[in-house]
Amino acid sequence: MDEDLRRVIFETFSEVFETMFFTFLEPLEEAPGKEALGCGRFIEATISYSGGCNGNFLFYFPWDLGKNITVNFLGVDEDGVQDSQIKDTAAETANMAIGSLLGKLDPGGKASLAIPQPRELADFSPETLLGAAGLCMFNTEFGILWVVGTHA
Amino acid sequence: MAFNILVADDSETMRAVIKKTVSMSGVPVGEFHEAGNGKEALAILEGTWIDVILSDINMPEMGGMELLKKISEDEDLRKIPLIFITTESSDARQEEARKLGVAGYVKKPFQPETIKAILYEVLEKAYEHRLKEKPDDGAGDESDF
Repeated sequence: MDEDLRRVIFETFSEVFETMFFTFLEPLEEAPGKEALGCGRFIEATISYSGGCNGNFLFYFPWDLGKNITVNFLGVDEDGVQDSQIKDTAAETANMAIGSLLGKLDPGGKASLAIPQPRELADFSPETLLGAAGLCMFNTEFGILWVVGTHA
Repeated sequence: MAFNILVADDSETMRAVIKKTVSMSGVPVGEFHEAGNGKEALAILEGTWIDVILSDINMPEMGGMELLKKISEDEDLRKIPLIFITTESSDARQEEARKLGVAGYVKKPFQPETIKAILYEVLEKAYEHRLKEKPDDGAGDESDF
């Protein structure tokens, strides 16, 4: 993934997270050490697009991050959030982030977004993502958001 | 004087956020109705009085653009203003929506103020007399139309 695309991704994702969830992203240039990977319960959200250009993005949210953005999104207490809402918010985040990105990468609007698909990963290790082409990492107050994407 | 609002979005949390945003905007709301896709929205429109539709574009089974097309083809339903709240923000998509008669377009991510401004603009254009009515004048039922 070239640097220009990484910059556009960071700007676009930051806008989504700050506007909708009051959450700030900090891009990570290097993978953290093993102890800082944050293994455990995650939500994976997948979204793709095809048409004028093609792409596929996988988002990996640590559960605490998913819960926090859901709390901020809905404006409810932590105790009032259900697991289904956390997964739904992760899917909607992928939709907004990639929809916005597509608006910048394909302003002619020939590509169409697929419906995002979320799933819970009970015991996930982000170590499996290290070295993947198109890996972007963003530090947040509630763990690292991992994104693996392709765009062509 | 209250408005019945249909929110169509496949994300339950997004529907909740939109409802909350509209409720806090000061627009007098009668009832909220929810649909997870265009088909469900059409089913609601068949049997329920709706004053304005807030719809996503990217939905399973029937998307927002097809919903708008169906509404524009129906003599009665075409009078109901539809506002898209969507991530699909390309010029081409907006132009397509304009041709089909969309009343407003809000890009996700959105600020609550943006939804409020467009909603008021659309409601004023479509139902100017109702926004000027006072709550205690007995108006606001279906007989107004």
